[in-house]
Amino acid sequence: MDVIKTVKLTKCYGTARGIIDVSLSVQEGEIFGFIGPNGAGKSTTIRLLLGLIYPTSGEAAIFGEDCIKRGPQIRQNIGYLPSEVFYYDNMRVIDLLKYSASFYHNVDQQRIYRLAEIMDLDLHRKIDDLSYGNKKKVGIVQGLLHQPRLIILDEPTSGLDPLMQQNFFNLIREENRQGATVLFSSHILGEVQKLCSRVAIIKEGRIISIEDIHALHNKNYKRFKIDFHDQVDAGYFNIEGVADLSTAPGSAAFLFKGRLNQMIDKIHGLNLINLTVEEPSLEEIFMHYYERES
Amino acid sequence: MNIYRQELRMLTPSAIYWSLGMLVCLLLFMLIYPPVAADVQGLEAVLANFPLEMRKALGLSSLNLARVLEFYAFVFLYILLIGAVFAMKSSLAVLSEEARSKTTDFLLSKPVSRFVIVTAKWGAVLTALLLQSILLILFSYMIVRIYGSFSSSLFLLITLSLIQMQLFFSALGLFLAALVRRMRSVLPLALGIVFGFFLVQIINQSVGERALGYITPFAYFDPATIVQHGAYNPTLVIINLSVSAVLVIAGYMAYHKKDFAAQ
Repeated sequence: MDVIKTVKLTKCYGTARGIIDVSLSVQEGEIFGFIGPNGAGKSTTIRLLLGLIYPTSGEAAIFGEDCIKRGPQIRQNIGYLPSEVFYYDNMRVIDLLKYSASFYHNVDQQRIYRLAEIMDLDLHRKIDDLSYGNKKKVGIVQGLLHQPRLIILDEPTSGLDPLMQQNFFNLIREENRQGATVLFSSHILGEVQKLCSRVAIIKEGRIISIEDIHALHNKNYKRFKIDFHDQVDAGYFNIEGVADLSTAPGSAAFLFKGRLNQMIDKIHGLNLINLTVEEPSLEEIFMHYYERES
Repeated sequence: MNIYRQELRMLTPSAIYWSLGMLVCLLLFMLIYPPVAADVQGLEAVLANFPLEMRKALGLSSLNLARVLEFYAFVFLYILLIGAVFAMKSSLAVLSEEARSKTTDFLLSKPVSRFVIVTAKWGAVLTALLLQSILLILFSYMIVRIYGSFSSSLFLLITLSLIQMQLFFSALGLFLAALVRRMRSVLPLALGIVFGFFLVQIINQSVGERALGYITPFAYFDPATIVQHGAYNPTLVIINLSVSAVLVIAGYMAYHKKDFAAQ
């Protein structure tokens, strides 16, 4: 079953671009990554799903029901962590969490305390006095306390220290094991890579690719660094599949996507001093192969 | 109900301060009632030197300040002003709260419809206003009673005009807050708008242009006029209710259609 399904979802803010023809389907039980640079339209898509803004055209459905018409009912089963967290300043953490819990049916109050313990959150402090990272933790507990069937995370890790990020990822994985579907939006590929099974890549309002995260890795992107004695043309390595090429007399470095034999044949004739072939980071793959596609 | 309770809790401190402000204003004015009543001829002699327009503007042309209830009616104009500002400010505040404190994402991603949100928030404002009027009726009755006896029904007519005028201003506040995308500060706006309407009433009274009387609630519920006729003007009461209803409906619609874009 599709937990999230959007068809040609479009949002324009006046003449400004929001998102254009976004079609996604997220299956039950998966952790779906949603990645793209800041301002690409990740938050706009999420806000449309939550009914915070209305689409200009297209459709969005969650649990098979229309996001606008059945918004309140759908949201009963959604947990949302916004990218920037702000809460009523004059409340204590526990007051806010109880207020949040009061919107949902049958919330297990003990769960608030359990989640707060995992995230190392002091429940009795005033929200006003909390650091950004601690407010983020409030956001996490607030988003998970009602055991939502769909968890929507918009840049969830900013402001969390690495240890807390780890706890948070474990928490999300645990919720996922219990059956929750997760939409994870981020501009950091590394964290999406850690958690997600599939990822949609959005750029300038359009989905440019939807990939299986393992396939993305297995596409054989390599980073080459070569030192040699020969004199070669600057264009010697500039063949199809090469990106981010930098050359100097006696050395070259580039990313390569394609048949390795083809590159090895090129290198074979050279008098090599040094050769390294590395796994590139997803950031590099993204930057050099997706940036160019639109 | 949870939103209603939460909003009412957040409104309570300011409701208490503003209600106290009204009572203090009444008390201070009532302190000068005995000397005024004792020498009403002297006062009128002084006032006679003022231009008629000015006396009209202050609501002093028809009131006999020696009578305690008419003195109360004179003071009540200022209570109406305070009450109007409070109503407008509260309505603006509760409905723009999310945009100002950036809690939109928290509240609107909850499983509630926007209709429920507006109803709960505005309901909390109306509750505060209602409690304020009840408080004011009780305490001002006791205060004014100290200075003399009067017709209770006329007293109620005067005092109950507060909640009706507040209905108008809270409806206007609801409408504006729903319409405007982000509101930085609420009180200056409320003050400006209320004093704008009050100014129209001053001009209306000094110029005697009847048409102006239809566009400001300060004319619908002018205490001096209520004393003069011993009753409300039914047409104006209905106009007040209708305009408020239209504003509320328009406010609900605007809030329903609003895009809550990222902050």
